[in-house]
Amino acid sequence: MAEFFQQVVAGLATGSIFAALALALVLIHRATGVINFAQGEMAVFTTYIAWTLIENHGVNEWLAFGLTLVIAFGLGLGTERLVIRPIERAPLLTTVIVTIGLVLIFNGLVSLIWTAEVRAFPSPFPNDTWEIGGVAISQQDVGTFLTVLVMVTLLWAFFQFTKVGLALRASALNPEASRLVGVRVSWMLAIGWGLAAVLGAAAGMLTAPTVFLDPNMMQAVLIYAFAAAVLGGIDSPFGAVVGGLMLGVGLNLIGTYVDFVGAGLRLPVALLIILVVLLVKPTGLFGKPVTRRV
Amino acid sequence: MKRSDLTGVGLFVLAAAAILLLPRFVSDFRAQQFAYVGIYFIALLGLNVLTGYTGLISLGHGAFMAIGGYTTAILVSDQGLTLGSHTFSADVKDVWTIPLAGLVAGLIGFAFGFPALRLTGLYLALATFAIAVAMPGLIKYDRFEQFTGGGGGINLFESAARTRPVETTDPITFETISEPIKFLGFEIASFNEWLYYLSWGVALLMFGIAWLLLRGRTGRSFRAIRDSELAAASSGVNLATYKTLAFGISAFYAGVAGSLLAIATTFVNPDTYPITLSIFLLVGVVVGGLGSLWPLVFGAIFIQFLPLWAQEVSKAQGAPAVVYGVILILLMILLPGGAAGLIRRLQALSRGYHRSR
Amino acid sequence: MRRPRLLLCLLALAGAIATGATAATSADPGITTKTILVGGTAPLSGTDTAYASVARGANAYFKYVNSRGGVNGRAISYKTVDDAYDPALTLQATQQLVEQDKVFAIFNSVGTEHNVATRDYLNAARVPQLFVASGATTFGRDHEAYPWTIGFQPSYRAEGWIYGTYLARTKPGAKVGVLVQNDDYGKDLLAGLKQGIARSKVKVLAEWFEATEPDVQSQITRLKSSGANVLALFATPRHAIQGYMFANRLGWRPLIINNAVSSASNVMTLASEGGSNAAVENSLSIVFLKDPTDAKWRNDAAVKLYRSIMSRFAKGANQKDVYHVYGMAVAHEFVKTLKAAGNNPTRASVMAQTRRLNDPANPFLLPGLTVKTTATERFPIEQALLQRWSKGSWKSFGGLWGYRPAR
Repeated sequence: MAEFFQQVVAGLATGSIFAALALALVLIHRATGVINFAQGEMAVFTTYIAWTLIENHGVNEWLAFGLTLVIAFGLGLGTERLVIRPIERAPLLTTVIVTIGLVLIFNGLVSLIWTAEVRAFPSPFPNDTWEIGGVAISQQDVGTFLTVLVMVTLLWAFFQFTKVGLALRASALNPEASRLVGVRVSWMLAIGWGLAAVLGAAAGMLTAPTVFLDPNMMQAVLIYAFAAAVLGGIDSPFGAVVGGLMLGVGLNLIGTYVDFVGAGLRLPVALLIILVVLLVKPTGLFGKPVTRRV
Repeated sequence: MKRSDLTGVGLFVLAAAAILLLPRFVSDFRAQQFAYVGIYFIALLGLNVLTGYTGLISLGHGAFMAIGGYTTAILVSDQGLTLGSHTFSADVKDVWTIPLAGLVAGLIGFAFGFPALRLTGLYLALATFAIAVAMPGLIKYDRFEQFTGGGGGINLFESAARTRPVETTDPITFETISEPIKFLGFEIASFNEWLYYLSWGVALLMFGIAWLLLRGRTGRSFRAIRDSELAAASSGVNLATYKTLAFGISAFYAGVAGSLLAIATTFVNPDTYPITLSIFLLVGVVVGGLGSLWPLVFGAIFIQFLPLWAQEVSKAQGAPAVVYGVILILLMILLPGGAAGLIRRLQALSRGYHRSR
Repeated sequence: MRRPRLLLCLLALAGAIATGATAATSADPGITTKTILVGGTAPLSGTDTAYASVARGANAYFKYVNSRGGVNGRAISYKTVDDAYDPALTLQATQQLVEQDKVFAIFNSVGTEHNVATRDYLNAARVPQLFVASGATTFGRDHEAYPWTIGFQPSYRAEGWIYGTYLARTKPGAKVGVLVQNDDYGKDLLAGLKQGIARSKVKVLAEWFEATEPDVQSQITRLKSSGANVLALFATPRHAIQGYMFANRLGWRPLIINNAVSSASNVMTLASEGGSNAAVENSLSIVFLKDPTDAKWRNDAAVKLYRSIMSRFAKGANQKDVYHVYGMAVAHEFVKTLKAAGNNPTRASVMAQTRRLNDPANPFLLPGLTVKTTATERFPIEQALLQRWSKGSWKSFGGLWGYRPAR
């Protein structure tokens, strides 16, 4: 039984990482209707900024994390103004292709500036372990998990209770009507990108202590984050977290208890399960059904 | 036949002639690169049927290419399968597996069309992405390994029989057989050229089929679905039939392209069809122009040559990727309609010019 | 009208001379009386750029040899093309080297799948695929099918066998949990380990992972709960480091064996997490090169030569990186092979030399270690020492291990 719980704990830890990036994907989709393939690479870029602040400039860790979040907001905002704004009226697919271009740029920039060497990234949490009933629980993992919970709560409160949050939701749902009531829709999109970059940066800094920092650190994570976001319903922050944790735990339990599933089949089986979920609930577990109009 | 059709046929003949003559003007190595352009062109034609004409985004076409490529590889490796009087792998690489590869991929694509009926937009895109993500794992799965060769892949060359040194009295001597390596009657020295003509021959055929298919009733139904599903359904288009059909046709094209890619690289393993392939196919379609046919050539040229050009600009670590990304984004901003959009604009310009005279 | 005809005549004449000239010489591409051009692929971009040091070290050694007159008056030029560690790109890059750059041979290309992907092509084109930088068993074992291919470093199977044999002798009751990467490299190491413990009481339990997985926490957890007291990390650096980290977080202190691909000192330093991870201490690995960070070789002539070559021909490169030493060792062997092939080496004559290597004195390899092949045994290096990580560096111990599997 200890092994079962140990696997669940490990799954929650990995799942928290998926969830953190999935939150960024959900935010940007909710605010702008776009799927941002570059979310992972932008996260890596900002994580490297944090690393430079700490290692090269001797900035205190917590201060560096805070500064990085601010820089990330600027980076997201600037990216939107620079490359997304000019194609505001282009079809959705064009925007998707532009985000693929951003993947290449950010990934290349990271290698160009910091080289591709694997690096250690300081963790904001202690590197100790609690032992409860034969189950080892890493404080790093607990810290990551709690941070993700804080992130989702803040995000929910932001959309629910702040004016900007409401304006963001409104301008994504109905840009024309929002314009009429005085919302500056174009700037709302930019703020959406900025906030998503902040969440992405947080995800990157939570991921790096565990999987180590290198330019492709988030590529594998991004795929799982997509799966988590889709499973939870791409518009639901709460769903993204539940999706991420379910995916993390599910993968571990499948790997441990389903004999025929080897390493190669763990992900395909998980994806198949998600596909089945989608067939039953086409907008994910917590997504709202889409109403279609002619 | 309409007059515009006649012009179209004329242009087609011209293009075919240009394609026929190109290898005379470029090196053997370039001919091989242009062969890859032909292969990507086929894949883009197929993806455009689905994405450009029917409005269904697929991020998983690399997986359908993998199915086609592995079909060919498995048939011609050393299984000795027969169909009628023909034994596969009778010759090392068997062009007769190309349509079969297309059919296998097409059937699987058609089958995938059914669950896809329930998904829309982004969910569909990510569901197709899931196939591309899952494919390498499936190929490497232990129980399929005897067919797929696992991570080691399958070689389409029978180099064992073809390059083994002749045993002479001195075991150190490195005598090799003098008999030239033949490839469906062609000598290996001209392999690249042969590959070029094979892939462009198939590409022209597939182009013709796509053109005929899309200008008729089927094409109209696809476009109606793209513009509005509800409107299409209320005007009598059977959504289920046409959506699954679009998936099937599209996957058939991808399968053919994947099969040719296997023949071109003479080797398949899970990394031959990576996730990035699926993504760059989508890039190629948008660069060529959604809902266009022949301008997709530019999309194919883009995905084949841009990475190479980017490496020429700077070899510094990471720099090629930055160059590629910047060019891609600039292209999207300046030409949101892709090559096809540019061509339409130029046509409109010239028409305006004639009218003003 | 007369001038064009004259032009045509001239052209025809030039053509005749050109064809005549090519027909007259039977020399292979890439070699003249002054130069010899070899090419190879290495990950100059992407996540695995660490392995590119292998090419950098070799290139520095060639420059050093050229500065002393080259090989039989020929300067070696070595062109490295980036493949970003993607086998599909390796194939295209290799075709470019052979068909456009017209290299004499492919030398020291990095990676298992990468060399497998190009092997058929190179053998069909009869281009030597020399000293591939991978320990996959297939490069030595399948020499009959691929006579134009030869490896260099100890095979992964031999490496696994050494660990297995060592455990069978020193820890007969051991239960080995193995973290294995799901590809040929991982499979070879595991197969060797199983060969080594055959007929002993040592038990093996393998947990596989995909190279694309973000982390291996689940696998390490399972290995720990299996009750294993030895952990073997058959993984590339990123996942090997994670193996150490998760073992530490789970409070698990097995004896850890780390395969040679991931045992470079900088990787071990990362794994020790600034000294907070004690699981790293006393790790085992194999070594066949003179590790420049091992105090034992501080005054060794070859290591001194290595440092001087690096400072002259690879300015700014990290001299502690043992992959650079690897590059020099393999470059040294290439130079020696080329010399042995005589004044007018051909692709075939160089290849023939690789079937009778016998070099007991490659200065960059451990003393006593012989590079040796015969017509039927095509594994150049099958010997290594075991080494133990202690207080921030590797220390080799015991005698040379030679791969002698009980068949």
